[in-house]
Amino acid sequence: MYKYIARRVALSLPVLVLSSLIVFGLMRVMPGDALTALMGESGNVSPKELQKLRKDLGLDLPYYKQYLIWAWQMVSLNPGDSIFTNEPISVALKKSIPVTLELAVLALILGLVIAIPIGVLSATRQDTSSDYAGRVAAITGLSMPDFWLGTLVITFAAIWFRWIPPLGYASLWDNPWTNLQQFLLPAAVLGFRLSAATMRMTRSTLLEVLREDYVRTAWAKGLGERIIIYKHALKNAMIPVITLVGGQFGTLLAGTVIVETIFALPGMGRLTVEAILFRDYPIVQTNVMLVAVTLVTLNLLVDLTYAWLDPRIRYQ
Amino acid sequence: MPTDPRPVARRSHVSRRDFLKRTGWGAVGTIPLIAGVSRRRASAQPASPYPDWMPPSPKPPKRGKLITRASAWDPPVLDPRLTNSVGLSQFASLTSNRLVRYPFSDEAASTTDLTLKGDLAESWQGSPDFRVWTFKLRKGVKWQNVAPINGRELVAADIKYCYEQYAKEGVQAFTFQEIEGMETPDKYTVRIHLKTPNTMFAQNLAEPVSIIFAREVLEEDGDLKKRMIGTGPYVIKEHTRKVRLVLARNPDYFDQGRPYVDEYHILSTPDAATRLAAFRSGQSDILFVASVGDAAIVKKTTPAAVIQEYKTVQTVFGLALAQDKPPYSDVRVRRAISMAIDRQKQVDTLYGGHGILGWGIPYFYFQDKMPTAAQLGPYWQYKPAEAKKLLAEAGHPNGFETTLFYYEYFPEMSSQVQLVQQDLKRNLNIEIKISKLDYTTFYGRYADGKWDGMAWGFKTGYATGLDEQTYQYMHSKSTKNYWRFSDPVIDELVTKLRQTPDRAEQRVLTKKVLDREHDQVTRMWMPYDAGFLVWQPYLRNTGSLALRRNDGYGASTLARLWIDK
Repeated sequence: MYKYIARRVALSLPVLVLSSLIVFGLMRVMPGDALTALMGESGNVSPKELQKLRKDLGLDLPYYKQYLIWAWQMVSLNPGDSIFTNEPISVALKKSIPVTLELAVLALILGLVIAIPIGVLSATRQDTSSDYAGRVAAITGLSMPDFWLGTLVITFAAIWFRWIPPLGYASLWDNPWTNLQQFLLPAAVLGFRLSAATMRMTRSTLLEVLREDYVRTAWAKGLGERIIIYKHALKNAMIPVITLVGGQFGTLLAGTVIVETIFALPGMGRLTVEAILFRDYPIVQTNVMLVAVTLVTLNLLVDLTYAWLDPRIRYQ
Repeated sequence: MPTDPRPVARRSHVSRRDFLKRTGWGAVGTIPLIAGVSRRRASAQPASPYPDWMPPSPKPPKRGKLITRASAWDPPVLDPRLTNSVGLSQFASLTSNRLVRYPFSDEAASTTDLTLKGDLAESWQGSPDFRVWTFKLRKGVKWQNVAPINGRELVAADIKYCYEQYAKEGVQAFTFQEIEGMETPDKYTVRIHLKTPNTMFAQNLAEPVSIIFAREVLEEDGDLKKRMIGTGPYVIKEHTRKVRLVLARNPDYFDQGRPYVDEYHILSTPDAATRLAAFRSGQSDILFVASVGDAAIVKKTTPAAVIQEYKTVQTVFGLALAQDKPPYSDVRVRRAISMAIDRQKQVDTLYGGHGILGWGIPYFYFQDKMPTAAQLGPYWQYKPAEAKKLLAEAGHPNGFETTLFYYEYFPEMSSQVQLVQQDLKRNLNIEIKISKLDYTTFYGRYADGKWDGMAWGFKTGYATGLDEQTYQYMHSKSTKNYWRFSDPVIDELVTKLRQTPDRAEQRVLTKKVLDREHDQVTRMWMPYDAGFLVWQPYLRNTGSLALRRNDGYGASTLARLWIDK
């Protein structure tokens, strides 16, 4: 197993290098740069002055040099400073990562808490009214984009209850009650879509497993329904669900961009979007690489989970 | 966040709500277009159900409490040398002062009252040739009691230092490079020598972007990106990027007894739907909406809300042409294009009949009332047949192909661009390929000035004074002349204008500038609506003044706001 992990880690390196080259290249292909956004707005900055500032920021260096400098900064875990604000990127990340992480984890929990029981219920009560209700809810969840649902939720909460989550950000440790109020609705919005896909997958795989011979044997042995479903069937049905959830985490992170904007949360999504708009290369590159590392790690963890769920799986 | 060319309009990115709204407007707008029905209006700006002026409260002001505003803008940096952003100005003129200022809402006689008032200066005077300006400072003005300045007294050397830094680098350099030299004969006197006469120089110092910053901060930090310490009515108590900015009352403010409100919280809220929801739920006291329809929606769910029509006195957007090269270097082509565009249709379909046809200098600088359609000249009228004839005379009887790039500053703009595209195709067979760009790409290309074809052009939104609106935006040598025109007549007129002290003569000259602009179609202004400001009913002295919206570039007037509850 250790060999397997080592091989996977080694294989992930080219993925990360490729990702870094793509994001670096894309940012350079986009027209304009941070100085255009910051300085050029009144049109009265001389080209000479802009040239000087570009030199100060290293934006006049050849691209390969800029890439190598940045790659070294990433490897040495010192991503540098924001071009726009001069703030160290590590400081910006320290503020924004907990926000996005909390939002994504809460959305994941909410999504799974909703999806798995409904999926199980749908599968075990196939073609009943509860199954239909669950499936309709899932289709609804899949059909509604986050931005639409988020906008509806915040608009109608304000109109009907004269309440919306408190604007701003309170840390979970400093002010847990305010924090919960701020995160519950956005996490529910984000989790709803995830729960829809997960519910459908849980239902279909559980239905498949319930038709397996070993389940029929369990019924024949006279085991109780709960034991058959939760101990024997569900665990096996979870393998594709886990794969799906692992894959969906990327979608979840992408969804935070929209949800953070609607609910005014200062997370990674907003940081990245703003950085893209203002061509703040170091921030965009660092954030994209962080997401890439997260997804690679997550996929590895998903693969490792298979062995726990199905002891027949061996890593070679 | 960069400058918003609208006086303080949203320059938010395309939000989900914007998209839905635009789709909705598109659908609504299409109906009359398909049906061939267009509501023709005699006046350029029909009345809205909301007043354009909120008189000051006659009651004695109350001290205390706090106001909150969900804001679309974040300051990119705190350094006023580096940005003209409304994100900075929404609070910078509360933390800092200028030498002179325009009247606050409780002092102004009307929304268009631009009588200069002393801010840090007690009095000021230009020499007979207007090349030397002398400012006498108030005595006893203290910097905020924050390290490293710790409440020391403001002196003339501070002003000199500050203006020197503005001239040295950054976005204000053009304005301050006009200064030949400065002297400080005593602690409270600054004498400024200009390179050329300028009767309106004091107005330039009253612009919201001309605030006085602390030299100690610049000397210690090397820039002003992280700390803003001034002499203004509020002190920055907390600033967390993309979360909130908390301003606390400055107890040492020179205008004793003011400000009335203890704290002002600006909450970073990029989404328009969330800002509206925050207002409805009482989390925000101030809201801006772009159209009369939006204002009606707010009123429906929050009937007690107080709404002021933010007076539309000019347009800041229009069709910019690469007029330094063919075919747009030919004035006949420009005139033909202008006459082939149905501006009234844009007003009717996109702005719900509320908006102006478009001119680029605030009307009160050249006449008392809003110009009528006829006063805008022959080339601002919709005359497709004449336009076609003129284009044929210019050698393009079959039209031509061109490009247009733009950034969507507000949702109606995309529809506006498409209406222009349709008009020019239908009336002149001009085929336009449209590119919608993100802000930085748009700005980079537009300000670079090397583009071909057309752009949806703008002028920056902070300008209040006449000099900024004319000489600095229109002279061929000015770096703020984005529209790429060089007209010797306009150069002469705007130069003469800044040398003319008499107000009546200024008006005559300004009208000549406008007429010349419309005759030569140097800037093809398009219809525009400045929007509406919405307030919770318990706020007093909330009036916004023309070109000075008090949630943005006119924020300094919030020092006079108070809470009646």
